[in-house]
Amino acid sequence: MIARAVETRRSRLLLGFLLLLHLVIISRQVDGGGGGSLLERVVFAALSPLQTAVAWSGRTVRDSWNRYVNLRRVQQENQILTARLRESQLLLQERSERAGEAERLRDLLELRQGLPLETLVAEVVARDGVPFYRTLSINKGKRDGVALNAPVLSATGVVGRVIRLGPQVAQVQLLLDRESGLGVRIERSRVAGVVLGQVGFADASADSPDRDASGDLIMKYVPALADVVPEDVVVTSGLDRIYPKGLMVGRVRSVSRGAGLFKEILVTPSAGFDRLEVVMVVRQTPEPEIFEEAVR
Amino acid sequence: MRALSTGVAILGAFLLQSALGWLLPAYARFLDPFLVVVVSCALAGGESHGMLAAAAAGWVQDAHFGGRVIGLAGLSKLLIAYGVGWAGARFQLSEAGPRSLVLAGSTLLDALVLGAFASVFDVTLSPLPFWGHLLRALANAALGVAVYRLIESRRRPR
Repeated sequence: MIARAVETRRSRLLLGFLLLLHLVIISRQVDGGGGGSLLERVVFAALSPLQTAVAWSGRTVRDSWNRYVNLRRVQQENQILTARLRESQLLLQERSERAGEAERLRDLLELRQGLPLETLVAEVVARDGVPFYRTLSINKGKRDGVALNAPVLSATGVVGRVIRLGPQVAQVQLLLDRESGLGVRIERSRVAGVVLGQVGFADASADSPDRDASGDLIMKYVPALADVVPEDVVVTSGLDRIYPKGLMVGRVRSVSRGAGLFKEILVTPSAGFDRLEVVMVVRQTPEPEIFEEAVR
Repeated sequence: MRALSTGVAILGAFLLQSALGWLLPAYARFLDPFLVVVVSCALAGGESHGMLAAAAAGWVQDAHFGGRVIGLAGLSKLLIAYGVGWAGARFQLSEAGPRSLVLAGSTLLDALVLGAFASVFDVTLSPLPFWGHLLRALANAALGVAVYRLIESRRRPR
């Protein structure tokens, strides 16, 4: 009985093997019509969905991995590029700063070379500490040879004068300050007058002919019949014994008939007070005659 | 010994089929000596013997008398041999009557299975009318009984 069962099992195994063998051999000979044997076609058709699924899974995993890697790479590149951009921006800003500084220094140097004055270059270290005054501080003081009332200039015009001295710093009163004043002259007509700052208090311009002219200077004591027109150049007259003669102060912005015998003239300063970074301090004022000759 | 006798039987079937092809080409297809050998081996030696014989006989038949696909005859004969061997182990089929019946049935079943496999593998078979199948089954049964008797007569002690 057992031998019979073994024989049956063996015969079934043999049947399976021989069947498979025949199927394989036959299929190898049958043209599947698709460029391969029938077995290949059947196996291909049967397994192709699985293969497709495996390929899809593999592709998905690979694409996901590639996306992840690319994302990480892009993120790293982004960080690097962002850092480089910041560095470049800082560098550009620094270069721009240096270029501006160089330009300002060049202008100052040109002015310094053109003026027969002994000047000292100083950097602005503070400005407008309180709203009631228009002053700034420079990093040069008594030790550097700066004197009280020394004129302070910029490349484009007169800035003000030194009103307070320290060993290494000095405080400069701007022309804009309400207490400031200097003798000026209209360059074209040689009409003289006094320029005062009108900025300071909120009601500073209450009696001004132009209420919007709070950033301007006001030129006073100009006779009503004097020849002054807008765009006239205003220069220092040297009569105040503080500022050398012939320095650029600004341009006439408007001219109006004031109260009494004088005109009221608004002058736009040329010094660009809000952009001042480097100024020149006049250490020694030459004799008026020599200076006038040099300016001429 | 069994393998040798099987080989000799297959060789005899081959020679007979070849001779019929030469002598009676129009009737050679109505006899399948290879199937007779396979069924005889299955009945005598069981399923395994029958299947091995079927594989070998089928290969020889297909190689020399078959179509473009080798293995179809062996495949069909393989199933026939298994079935006959299985039946032979469970039923008394050694007598002439049952044997002839098995041979006839195997011939018909072989034709059926072969046709099915041919269609599966896209092989076109020459059509054989029903009477041709019957004639073929009778011829195989007669040949099988004749061979069996011949063998049995040679085995019997005189």
